[in-house]
Amino acid sequence: MKLRAVRLHNVRRFAGRGVAIEGMGDGVNVLSAANEHGKSTSFDALHALFFQPHSGTPKAVQSLRPYSGGSPLVEADIETDVGRFRLTKQFYAGKRAGVVDLASGRIVAQADEAERFIAELVHGGSGGPAGLLWVRQGITGIENRSPSEKEEERKAREGVLASVQGEVEALTGGRRMAQILDACAAELDKLVTSKGKPRTGEPYDQALEERDRLASEEARLEADVRDLRNALDTRRKARARLAELEDPAETAARQQARVQAEQALAQARAHGEKLHAAEARESLARHNAEAARAALDKFRFTSQRALDLKVLEAAAIARRDEALAARTEAITVSDNALAAAEQAEMEEQQARELLARLDRALRAKEAAERLKELRERLSKADAVNKQVEDGQAALRVATVPADAVRELEGLETELAGLHAAEAARATTLRIDYDDGAGGRLTDGGAPLPDGAERPIHGTEQFRIEGVGTLTIRSTREGAASDGKLAKAVERHRTLLRQLGAESLRDVRERQAAASAKAIELETARRHLALLAPQGVAELRAEIARLQDLPVPEDQTEANPEAARQAHAAAGEKLAAARLAAREARPARDRAEAAVIDAEKALSSIAAERAVAEAALGAEEGRADRAGELQRVCETAEAAFAEAKAAAETLRAGAPDIDTVEATLRRTASAVDATAKEAASLREQLADLNGSIRTRTDGAVEEIWRETAERRAAADTLVRRFEMEVAALTRLRRALEDARTAARDLYFEPVMNELRPLMGLLFDDVSVSFNDATLLPELLRRNGQDEPVDVLSGGMREQLAILTRLAFARLLARDGRPAPVILDDALVYSDDDRIEKMFDALHRQSRDQQIIVFSCRQRAFERLGGNRLQMTEWRPDQG
Amino acid sequence: MFRFVHSSDLHIGKRFGNLPEDLRGRLREARHQAIGRLAGLARAQGASVVLLAGDTFDTETPTPAMLRQSLAAMAEDPALRWIVLPGNHDSRVADELWRTALQHAPANVTLALEPEPVDVAPGVVVLPAPCTTRRPGRDLSEWMDGVTTGDGTLRIGLAHGAIRDFSEEGSSSDVLAPDRASRAGLDYLALGDWHGLTRIDARTWYSGTPEPDRFKHREPGRALLVSIEGAGAEPTVTPAETGAFHWRTLDLRLFGDEDVNAALAQVLPTEMRRQTLLRITAQGRTRLPAKAELKAAVEHAAPDFAHAIYEDDALETVCESGDLDRIDHAGALRQAAETLLAESDDPQRAEGEREIARGALARLFSYCEDAPS
Repeated sequence: MKLRAVRLHNVRRFAGRGVAIEGMGDGVNVLSAANEHGKSTSFDALHALFFQPHSGTPKAVQSLRPYSGGSPLVEADIETDVGRFRLTKQFYAGKRAGVVDLASGRIVAQADEAERFIAELVHGGSGGPAGLLWVRQGITGIENRSPSEKEEERKAREGVLASVQGEVEALTGGRRMAQILDACAAELDKLVTSKGKPRTGEPYDQALEERDRLASEEARLEADVRDLRNALDTRRKARARLAELEDPAETAARQQARVQAEQALAQARAHGEKLHAAEARESLARHNAEAARAALDKFRFTSQRALDLKVLEAAAIARRDEALAARTEAITVSDNALAAAEQAEMEEQQARELLARLDRALRAKEAAERLKELRERLSKADAVNKQVEDGQAALRVATVPADAVRELEGLETELAGLHAAEAARATTLRIDYDDGAGGRLTDGGAPLPDGAERPIHGTEQFRIEGVGTLTIRSTREGAASDGKLAKAVERHRTLLRQLGAESLRDVRERQAAASAKAIELETARRHLALLAPQGVAELRAEIARLQDLPVPEDQTEANPEAARQAHAAAGEKLAAARLAAREARPARDRAEAAVIDAEKALSSIAAERAVAEAALGAEEGRADRAGELQRVCETAEAAFAEAKAAAETLRAGAPDIDTVEATLRRTASAVDATAKEAASLREQLADLNGSIRTRTDGAVEEIWRETAERRAAADTLVRRFEMEVAALTRLRRALEDARTAARDLYFEPVMNELRPLMGLLFDDVSVSFNDATLLPELLRRNGQDEPVDVLSGGMREQLAILTRLAFARLLARDGRPAPVILDDALVYSDDDRIEKMFDALHRQSRDQQIIVFSCRQRAFERLGGNRLQMTEWRPDQG
Repeated sequence: MFRFVHSSDLHIGKRFGNLPEDLRGRLREARHQAIGRLAGLARAQGASVVLLAGDTFDTETPTPAMLRQSLAAMAEDPALRWIVLPGNHDSRVADELWRTALQHAPANVTLALEPEPVDVAPGVVVLPAPCTTRRPGRDLSEWMDGVTTGDGTLRIGLAHGAIRDFSEEGSSSDVLAPDRASRAGLDYLALGDWHGLTRIDARTWYSGTPEPDRFKHREPGRALLVSIEGAGAEPTVTPAETGAFHWRTLDLRLFGDEDVNAALAQVLPTEMRRQTLLRITAQGRTRLPAKAELKAAVEHAAPDFAHAIYEDDALETVCESGDLDRIDHAGALRQAAETLLAESDDPQRAEGEREIARGALARLFSYCEDAPS
């Protein structure tokens, strides 16, 4: 489609007037006029013709109306593949739309059909881009825009990416899309966060909170109501129970039972006491009866015993008398035997004394003879003994110790050796006198013999007559041998002195003399031993003893043998007498023991009888006493039988006190428990009444129901919000999907068209594109890379125009050519850039209609293109 | 001839928590005033007795003040006799309620707490079947069969509960025998529980509530005026309106092209708007713009009324290409709109999803109206 002419009447400042722009060519067309000449009015009117239905009066249409009112009329001549057409729209009064085929003058379409015709031109079918590509100072639409929207637009156009995207979206209907998306997002944002959570403090969240609050409130109240109902139930039961407990008949019955039990217990206790007393009496009577019976029995027994004892005593006396007689006889027999034994003893003693006298006389004669012999031996022994003592003394003197002799002999030998060695070793002095010499050498006054060798020991001095004293000092050896020799000489001398001898030979002679004396002494000793074997002292003692023996006074001349035989006979007689006395003794002892036994038995019986007699009392009252005892016993037994029977009767009739007490406890506890339960129930009822009244006064049940209803209402509200959020979310997604699809559909192709155009415009600038996003990424200017994120105003508007051109090329290539209309689209660009821009436009316009409205007359004069003029115009018909 | 008023289900004390704050008080007050209106009806029609067939009170534990005020209202006309039967909401279990009521009941109020005959007039005996608990689980009216009364005595049964499926609460374990009237030789059986006036047979009636409390029954609050010539005679039963508030459900059936404003105006009641609670249910088919228009119209009209609920869930939205043109002729917006439209009509999708799509489309439409091209 190409525009050929635009005419408008009664639009804005052209109230009641018309203006026409005609003769639009194929390439670049420029309408250059000062501001307020109606360029923008024409632009807006043209936009309304294509995009506003003739029947409506939205703001875009309202803005076309002059202040004075009236019906704006817009007309455009166009040329398409099919032919040339005139499009006419009148708004407000006489609103109409029409399409006229210029070739035939025929009306092609009117009203809605005309609208459809125009829509077809503009959109080229559903989903296509606008058939006219409008650019106005970086703004595409002619709609009124709020300051905030402009601000948003400014932001949106800051980067190349955003810029180109914005243009493409504007072309694909995305401007409104963005607005609606924003509105949708804003509304959604009020309800939920970006993550879909309810936004705190906003209505949705409040509704949720209210719902939750009410739900918990409802639960709380429900619990309250449940408590209340439970309390009511409990109270109902408590009341019923209390009524039961307080039933008068029941209460009386319980009381009655307790009183009866108490009486029963009292009776039982009284009975018990009676029984106790009866039993005490019974016990006493039994004791009395038993005592009486025992007294009676004892009396009877004692009486019998006394009789028996009397008999027994008589017998015992007889037995004792017999024993006494037997003892007297036995004593007589025994005494006789003893007298005989004494006689025999006397006779035997006389015989024994005679025999002893004879024996003593014999032994005195023998002792006198021995004394005489011993005295002779003693005198001989004394002589010999003197001989021995003398010998011993002589020998002691003569004896030489054998070891001293042996040592002396050893010393003699050693001395000889030592002298010889001395002589051989010693320093010697020898003098050989000259013949005739007068002087002599003296040694200690003694001259040294001529030619003799004198040993020198140590320092020695010699006198030389007429000359002086010669001192010779021998220092060599001598001292040791001198010591040894000296010691031996000394020992030799000592030994001889001890022995009292002159020499060794002397000693040996004395030894021989001592041996002879020893033999003499031994001979004398042997002689002495023979004379007094026990020693001389013993011999003397024996003599002294014998001298002291008494000499017998009388010298009996009886025959010793007859005396011995008389003695033996007396002995035999004595033994027989003693045996007889011994035999008589046991019989006597037995008789005495029998007497003692008989006495004892008699004594015991007599004692017992005395006791029995004493117990029985005087003989004459005994029968009376027995009768008395018998009577007492019978009385006591009768009393016991009576007491026993009485106790027995009471025992048989005694009630079980445990059972009676248990009954009382049970009935009493029944009364108490009932009272207690009733009291507790009354307390419980008081509590319940309080709690129930509190709740019913607070109308808890009604409030609960009310809360439940309010909660249901809140649920509904929440559901509405949920629905709202779901719908908005769904809408946003649908819009975003559609936008993404549109972007995908057009963005890449437009970018492909845009790239060469940019090269044309910015020959000093090279632009590199991101392969992935297909967006300009780097601007290379004067060899320097700068990121394409912030663009100058001029650059932005140029980019906008280029994008439109690229889009137009795309459409043309699809066989749907559309004009590009620019209204003061290059306000920010410098002249140089505008020229380049026009080069681009001209190059483009070979197959592209471009219509430029500009107020920059001078700058555009040089640019060439088909110059357009605005002329007065009056519509054909009203 | 014996004349009496039969009513039930006053539900005094009901709170209406699901309704706006300022309306709740008015609705509560209206329930209380039902007593006065019933008394007025009885006086006007020459009836001497009012039978309340259960659920006089909404809860088992009404506040003492409310209970006392209700009794006081009944006491206002001493010539009028009230027979009050415990229902399932105020059953015998509510002993606090009935104890207090017994304490303060005026002479002309009889609390029918036991299944015992009550003489209400010479030759007229009421046989009450008070609810023992919330769900007695048995037919409490059975005892009426065995009650003997003198010849020529009018026997009037009074019971509360469901017959078949007429239950307000949907439970069916404790239904009343529907032919109790004939079984027990009753001249009339006054029933309560069902909030809508219903005739079971010539002698058996549910009076319904005198003051409706929900939209369920599409009828005004009414009470029954019953006249019986004598024992065995068929009673004459005449309903009389007693409700202070109207609970109106308006079915707005649309066919696609009509003027929705006009259609709405046609069904909206013109009288007693302040006393009317509205539920407008739009049904049928409509265009996308009309749907928004209708909603706006309802919102516009709503403040006239005590309360208004608008339901358009059942309203099918018809979308023609012209409607979509109002969104956009082409481009991404048009694409989005068509996607949503397809989704909302897609029978393969779950209803919830389709509803969301419909909502999204309606929303897109309104955005586009606000942001013209």
